[in-house]
Amino acid sequence: MKQENNKAYKFGMVIDLDKCTGCGSCMVSCMSENNVPFKEDESKKKDSITWMRVYKLTNGKSFPDTEVVYMPRPCQHCGGKGDHGHSPCVSVCPAVATDYGYDTGIVSQIYTRCFGCRYCMGACPYHARYFNWWDPKWPEGMENYLSPNVSPRMRGVVEKCSFCYHRYQAARDQAYAQGNKDEIDEENYQTACTTACPSGAIVFGDLNNPAHAVHEIVKPDPHPDPRNKHVVGKSRNPKVFRLLERLGTNPKVYYLSEREWVRKAGDNYLDGEWDKIKNHHGATLSND
Amino acid sequence: MDAALIPEGAKRCSFPKFTIGIAIVGAILLWGVFAMGLIWWKGLNQTNMNDYYGFAIWIWADLAVIAVGGGAFFTGLLRYIFKIDELKNIINFAVIIGFICYSSALLILAIDIGQPLRGWFIFWHANVHSMLTEVAFCLSAYFAVLTIEFIPNILENRQAQKVPFFHHLAHNMHGVMAVFAATGAFLSFFHQGSLGGVAGVMYGRPFAVREGLLIWPWTFFLFTWSAAAFGPCFTLLVTRITEAVTRKKLVKDNVVHLLAKISGWMIVTYIVAKIIDTIYWAMVTAPSLGFTLSHFYTNNSFYGYWILITEIVLCGVIPGAILIMKSTRENSKLRLIAIILGVIGVCLNRWVMVLQIMAVPVMSFDTWALYFPSWQEIATTILPIAYGIILIALAYRYLPVFPQEQELNPVEPATEVE
Amino acid sequence: MKVDRRSFLGLGLGAAAGIAVSPIGMKLTDDSSIWTQNWPWTPVPVDGEVTYENSVCSLCPGSCGISVRKINNRPVKIEGLAGYPINDGGACLHGIAGLQYLYDPSRVKTPLKKNGDKFEEISWDDAIAIVAAKLADIRKSGSAEKLACIADKEQGSVSGLFKRLLKTFGSPNFYTMPGLESYLELTAETLHGEGQTIAFDLENASFVLSFGAGIIEGWGSPVNCFKANASRKERKAKLYQIEPRLSNTAANADKWIPVKPGTEADLALGICAVILENKLFDSPATSSFKGGLNKFGALLQKEYTPSKTAEITGVNASDIEKIATLFANAKMPLAVFGKGRGDGAQSLKELAAVHILNCLVGNINKKGGAFVQPKLKYLEFADESMDSIAENGFAKTKAAPYVNQLIEKVNESSQPVVEALFVYNANPCHSLHDAKKVKQALGKIPFVVSFSSFLDETAMEADIILPSHTFIERLEDVPSCAGLAKSVVGLTKPVVEPLFDTKNPGDAVILIAKALEGNIAQSFEWETYEECLEEVAAGIWDSLSEDGFAIISEEVPSESVPVNISLLANNPATVQAQGDFELTLIPIDNMRLISAGISVSPFAIKTVSDKVLKGKDIVVDINPLTASGLKDGGVAMLTTPIGTARVIVNFNEGIMPGIIGMVEGLGHTFDNKYVSNKGININALIGPVIESGSGLDAAFGIKAKISKA
Repeated sequence: MKQENNKAYKFGMVIDLDKCTGCGSCMVSCMSENNVPFKEDESKKKDSITWMRVYKLTNGKSFPDTEVVYMPRPCQHCGGKGDHGHSPCVSVCPAVATDYGYDTGIVSQIYTRCFGCRYCMGACPYHARYFNWWDPKWPEGMENYLSPNVSPRMRGVVEKCSFCYHRYQAARDQAYAQGNKDEIDEENYQTACTTACPSGAIVFGDLNNPAHAVHEIVKPDPHPDPRNKHVVGKSRNPKVFRLLERLGTNPKVYYLSEREWVRKAGDNYLDGEWDKIKNHHGATLSND
Repeated sequence: MDAALIPEGAKRCSFPKFTIGIAIVGAILLWGVFAMGLIWWKGLNQTNMNDYYGFAIWIWADLAVIAVGGGAFFTGLLRYIFKIDELKNIINFAVIIGFICYSSALLILAIDIGQPLRGWFIFWHANVHSMLTEVAFCLSAYFAVLTIEFIPNILENRQAQKVPFFHHLAHNMHGVMAVFAATGAFLSFFHQGSLGGVAGVMYGRPFAVREGLLIWPWTFFLFTWSAAAFGPCFTLLVTRITEAVTRKKLVKDNVVHLLAKISGWMIVTYIVAKIIDTIYWAMVTAPSLGFTLSHFYTNNSFYGYWILITEIVLCGVIPGAILIMKSTRENSKLRLIAIILGVIGVCLNRWVMVLQIMAVPVMSFDTWALYFPSWQEIATTILPIAYGIILIALAYRYLPVFPQEQELNPVEPATEVE
Repeated sequence: MKVDRRSFLGLGLGAAAGIAVSPIGMKLTDDSSIWTQNWPWTPVPVDGEVTYENSVCSLCPGSCGISVRKINNRPVKIEGLAGYPINDGGACLHGIAGLQYLYDPSRVKTPLKKNGDKFEEISWDDAIAIVAAKLADIRKSGSAEKLACIADKEQGSVSGLFKRLLKTFGSPNFYTMPGLESYLELTAETLHGEGQTIAFDLENASFVLSFGAGIIEGWGSPVNCFKANASRKERKAKLYQIEPRLSNTAANADKWIPVKPGTEADLALGICAVILENKLFDSPATSSFKGGLNKFGALLQKEYTPSKTAEITGVNASDIEKIATLFANAKMPLAVFGKGRGDGAQSLKELAAVHILNCLVGNINKKGGAFVQPKLKYLEFADESMDSIAENGFAKTKAAPYVNQLIEKVNESSQPVVEALFVYNANPCHSLHDAKKVKQALGKIPFVVSFSSFLDETAMEADIILPSHTFIERLEDVPSCAGLAKSVVGLTKPVVEPLFDTKNPGDAVILIAKALEGNIAQSFEWETYEECLEEVAAGIWDSLSEDGFAIISEEVPSESVPVNISLLANNPATVQAQGDFELTLIPIDNMRLISAGISVSPFAIKTVSDKVLKGKDIVVDINPLTASGLKDGGVAMLTTPIGTARVIVNFNEGIMPGIIGMVEGLGHTFDNKYVSNKGININALIGPVIESGSGLDAAFGIKAKISKA
């Protein structure tokens, strides 16, 4: 990246779990957009490639106090400890087949570089990475719907959500063509899951850009969390949380819920800990 | 039939008997090779690994053989650098075991990766931040060192010795072996360590992650130390097995006692460090991430506290104690128990640092993931054992591996047949 | 030179060393990895010019606008169409996966004729000739009324053509599969008079009381409902969901009110009782009630007091009073009916009892309320040419009021009730209760013609298959209905040339009509379906062809409508579940599956949870309290009065004790390994229970037992 005036984006997502209905549109839109293969039995979920996976969470209470919430989980595009770009997966890949884009905040995956050691999968606590245990096979004729924007992956390599990076490239090209090098429009770069969501539960954009809706909702705190120096970009919105934030992975996928048990389910807490920190959001007192 | 190749003055079983033995083990080897072929041909779908178990039994086997193969570098270090001369009587065998372990480890890695033909990308596109890159470089380099260390022993074969060039080469290589031993120890320190680092740097996995020194998590040092501590146990165990199979004493007791004593003190120091590490992790590291110790050892059908206790107390503290005390160390039964426990302990440690890491749920709504290997995985994991047995059998039969063998087993001069 | 062992060895070693230091090794290593990066069996999609084409999805009654991305004219992705009046950009997973239907290798690629147990390929000319000859025979034999047709819906020009064919042929026997729209019309007819239908202004209602309507489970126009539901938070509107299990709708609702299955009508009446008792109703609205308001009130006071209702429904009395009060006092209350997707079995008593709540609180034809409006009418067919056979035959009464009874009658009668059957856009052999009996009935019908695009369970029973284009390849008008507050007609357009030798079903009907000659051919004077559509939809054709849709109405209807409560005042019996086992099996509508018509796509089935489908086994939900002797995740045998099935048990705290929940839409048996032979079809375990009076199949479930296998 030697381009001048290249502004650093930090693309991220916020998913409103109160709006999410678990309908599955995001999952299928992702599969269709990214040439994700399918096989005869996809019910073994530990061997089923779903870049976007929707988890079903319950509050663990018995009938009739049970509550359920759906949690879509794309790749979290972690910034790593201190948000320096050393994502759990990127830092362990021995062949630089997955890399952190400092200009976009997107964690990439180079399928032709990957030799399938799967260390990145072990390192990712979100299980966002999937291995091609099988050769991808489409029934005769169905390969006709494959999109040329995303290469189908060969057997033996790891794949994962790319925040529809090809859409970013298209938007960047379009911005360049229009003579606007610095800025791509919010609506010109949206992931396939975002646009498909019939409930509008997913909001995607540049976390660095205060004009973007995602920034408006998340209000990321640029300062490290005083309780954990590894954590940067904590939301100043008390209803917003990240998955496993305490690990210091610094995901760029945020979640929003009015329900306290849902926010608590986003991370692990020792007994009594949650009550102490549940209202702690961001390093500085929110005055905006 | 093959008498000309057998070391002078050594008694070996008859060739047919030897052939039958090799054939039996060879059958197992072929089974493993068949499974390996299947995996290369059809891909890793032949295993029971999945997206939760990206690392599974092979990586455990890999780590385990490297750990127990640690006897080679550590014995070499003691023999050539610290000049503990008695160990020359077991160094050949330690090197052979090391060679088997490391060649097996490389083979397993070649089976384990999804794109074996691209395996060299780890060198070509190396990511210096990755522990695995460090492993790959040091492992390959150390394997080369082991090969160099093994060559003089091969050249000591009776027929090879007849070639003047080989004779002189072997002699001269012995002379510079200290250099290789030092190189080997250095390389081993790093790859054993970086294998520990593989787990310790996974900060997304609270069961694995450790704090550390600079870029090295504590597991880095613990792995190196444990390999040095338990590697000699494995050398002693294989020696003992070889003695049992050949019904001969091959290494003098004083050598065995010495190595056992060194191993014992290494185990004790290691286990103290391991206990401190475990306590710190359980009391500080994990809780800071929101986890209690019980999270890692309950709510599943396999991983209980038993595994922690077995690894640290039963297979750590106890063998350490047995081996540091003269009376117990020199009791052959107790010593055997100790070295068996030690080998189990280090293998269990590697198991925990691979498979239990994968099994423990991290997201609060995730569940424990248990796994059982497919027959192809089992066969390819047994493959190195069969290969090891064959290589040891060949080496023992045709090479002067044990310098004290003839002294301990005087025989009538063998009749020249050819 | 003497070649001895040593020199041979030397030569070998030398050669090996030579190769090792030469670039051959490196070259081979590099080449082999480049080969792995370009494995010929991993497809490389061809790049090309990108274009977008707009159309309308007709996979379900939702009628969403779609945008199809094409590369070199090859469709590669379906997305929701931004700005479309129904879905404005959103799309459901089935629509997005639509291309998997288009490219499905198990499509019917050419007309087929059954020969023994097998199908053989025939030409369109032959196929049409065979159908026409067979029909001509039937007509000649004087039993023209014995030609029947089962279609998915009444609306639209293709259904119009089928109806027209039957009418000019001389048969009144046009049937539709159960669907929300048909229930809406029946409810409107029962309470408000003929020619009406009901729509729900979910986007504006401030308090939605849903009696099991799966608002986010595919009920109505799914994407539109998703949007209405999602906007609830901003609008500060409430959703109370009444149903026996914690469905996604219940989970997303502000409150879930578990109710014993089959007692929803009683609960609605119990709420009515509180509203009447506490004078919470809208007096001006109730003043126009006909059919015995006093009688109704007396009935409610006697039979549906909160405590009695609580006993029947399992909802406690104070909750009933609270719900009634909240509902009646809400600014824009709206009671919604149609359990699940609203296209399964329903009881008219329940539909009416729920809708009467809307009438009581006076939200009919008000913003955020229920709209009672004339059925959507935008098609103008010219009068048919009728000969005497047509006149006589068409004037006869239908063989049965609804498709379920038709099936029953076919099975029971020794005489053929139906001589020939057309099946269009429907899969009764999978979607109707007691699927085995349905298949048996189709087997009894001498001549079955399927217009399916796929070899589904019903097409397998056909004698002739006249394969239709998929929605990606065909032209068709798609009227919104299914309770949508706006009336919109969309135009499905051929986005791609037909992949196979299939036809637009409209064209197939026109060809059959022409081949039948006489008055029938005279009634089908169009050359093509396209010409026909342009003519019959002339009133909106300009906007259809230019915008891709035409909005018929989007205002709140202004008319006041009469309300006739005689049905309810006469205290109709509540339908009971068949059988006398202890537990009750109920169907679950899951958004990620499709319960009626086509099967689910490979993509969609991939999203289905392993708590629904595990390998080839279906998973049933059961409350741990009811699951004594069973193991969570264990295999069990589920038995109902009409069938037994192997299932996997899932302990679920989100289902009432005493209930077993099983998804609809699995257990297809046709030839497609990705979606078929997975799980079991719940309709093979539930038999129809006909509600007296309405004649509807109202089996909300069936009694069942479950034991460890």
